[in-house]
Amino acid sequence: MSVKEQLIENAKNGKVLTHKCTSCNHLHLSTVYYCEKCGSKGFEDTILDGTGTVATYTIITVAPAGFEQYTPYAFVVLQLNNSDLRISGFMANIAIPEDLPVGTKAKVTDFDEHRGIIIEKQ
Amino acid sequence: MSVTLVEKVCVLGAGSTKYGKLSDSITDIATQASVSAIENAGINPKDIKASYISNVFGVADKQVHLGPVLMSNLGISDKPSLSIESACGSGSVAFREAYANVAAGFYDCLVVTGVEKVTHTGTEWTTTYFAYCSDFFYEGQAGASFPGLFASMARAYLTEFDATEEDFAKVAVKNHENGLLNPKAHLQKKITIDDVMNSAVVASPLKLYDCCPFSDGASSVILCSEKFAKENGNDYIEVIGSGRGGSPAALQGREHLTTIPSTKIAAKAAYDMAGITAKDIDFAEVHDCFTIAEIVDTEDLGFFEKGKGVQAIREDRTKLNSDISINPSGGLKSKGHPIGATGVGQVAEVYDQLTGKAGARTVRDAKIGLTHNFGATGASCAVHIFQSV
Repeated sequence: MSVKEQLIENAKNGKVLTHKCTSCNHLHLSTVYYCEKCGSKGFEDTILDGTGTVATYTIITVAPAGFEQYTPYAFVVLQLNNSDLRISGFMANIAIPEDLPVGTKAKVTDFDEHRGIIIEKQ
Repeated sequence: MSVTLVEKVCVLGAGSTKYGKLSDSITDIATQASVSAIENAGINPKDIKASYISNVFGVADKQVHLGPVLMSNLGISDKPSLSIESACGSGSVAFREAYANVAAGFYDCLVVTGVEKVTHTGTEWTTTYFAYCSDFFYEGQAGASFPGLFASMARAYLTEFDATEEDFAKVAVKNHENGLLNPKAHLQKKITIDDVMNSAVVASPLKLYDCCPFSDGASSVILCSEKFAKENGNDYIEVIGSGRGGSPAALQGREHLTTIPSTKIAAKAAYDMAGITAKDIDFAEVHDCFTIAEIVDTEDLGFFEKGKGVQAIREDRTKLNSDISINPSGGLKSKGHPIGATGVGQVAEVYDQLTGKAGARTVRDAKIGLTHNFGATGASCAVHIFQSV
C-alpha cells in the first residue's frame, strides 16, 4: 500500500498518519519523503487521533465543478492536537462565519473520493 | 551564493493586448502582443534568437506547444522556444529564465510572451481549472477554490491583526481608481467600499469585488544585452535584481498563514542582487489576485511590517503618487489577470512607467520599479527590480 493509500485508510478511521524523522524527530504529514529539517529519509509512523482546532477556514458559495450540491460548505485548515502540524479538509453544512469561529474544536472523520479529507466539528 | 553575470540585461520594448474578454484565439493574441513588443522595441524579428512563452491553460483554447506556432507567425520558425507553466506566476518565471539566458551570454536578444485565453469556458470551469493549481490532494480535492484559499488567508489575517473587511475593500477601490487610467485594463469602473461590501460573497470573507476577474490577454517584452540595447538606439530599462523562491504548496504547511515565504525569499534575493532595500523602491506591481493578497504582499516585500499593511491601505499610503505607488496599472484586480500573461504584463507596465509611456497613471519621478508575481497561493514566486537609464 502506498503512503498516500495508508494516509487515506487512516483518515477513513478518523486518524492522521504522520512520519517522525528518526534522525531529528521532526514530524511531517506522511506525504513528505525526506525530512524538511535535516534531509534524511528514515521515518517512523506516528498516528495522531485526528483531533484539533480550526486554524482558519472559508465558506465557499461559488464552488468548483462537483461541489455545487454541497454549497455552502467550509474548506478548513485544522491545527492538529499534540503536534505543530495542520491538515486541510472539507466540512459540510457551514453557512455563516458564526457557525465556525477560528479555534472551534474539530476532527478528521473520513476520506471521500469526491471530497477528500472530511473534517467535522466536535 | 553570488552569481557572475556576463551581460547586463535590459528590457528594450513591451506590448500588450487589452485584457478582458477577447474574441481572438490564444495564438492570435499571443502574436498581437509579440508584434507590438517588436515594433515598440524597433527591432527586426530576425534579431530574436529564442523565445520564452508563459501559459497555463492553452488546452482550453485548443493550442499547446504555443512557442513554435508563435515563432512561425513571426516569420522566425527556425528559432527555439520554451513554454513555461508556473500557475499564475508563469510570466515572471518565463521572464526570469529569459533574463538568466541573456545574462549568461547565451543570447543577445529574446522575446518573452505570456498569454491566457479562458473566459469562453465560463465561471464554473475556470474556477475548476484554477483549483488544479493548488496542492490538489489536500486543497482542490476538498473543495477549495482559489478565492477559498485566499479567503482562508484573509480569515487568518482578520483573526490575527487589527483589520476589517472594509480595509480589504479599500484595496479594490484603490486599484480600480488606477485601472481607470489604464486604457488596457479589464475592469475600467470606479467602485466604492459599499460596492465591494455589497457584492456577492464568493468565499467568505471575500466577496466578488475582492477578487480579480478571469481575463484573456497577452503581454510581451523584448529582453536583450546592454550592448544590443545601446546599439539599437530605442528606450530601454535595466534589470538590476532577479529572485525566485518557493513555499509549501499547501497553506497548511506554512509556518504563518498570513505570510507567503516564497515572496520573502525571492525579494531578498532580488534586493541583494540590486544592492538596495525595500525603501529604495518607487513603485511596485504586486500580485493582488485578491485584496488580501496585496496587503500580505506589501508586508512580505518589506514595504510595511507584518500586520501593518492594512494600516497603510487605511491611510492611503499606497495610492498612486503617495508614499509608494502600489499597482499603478490597476493590478490584477482592475487591469485583469490572464494568468500566463500577468507576470510579463507587470514588466510591460514597469517599462512604460520608466520610459515615460504610462500617461495619466505615471508615477512621478520614478527611477526604480519592482514586479512581484506568484503561482497559486504563492507556492512559487519571482521578484524583479528595474532601473531607468
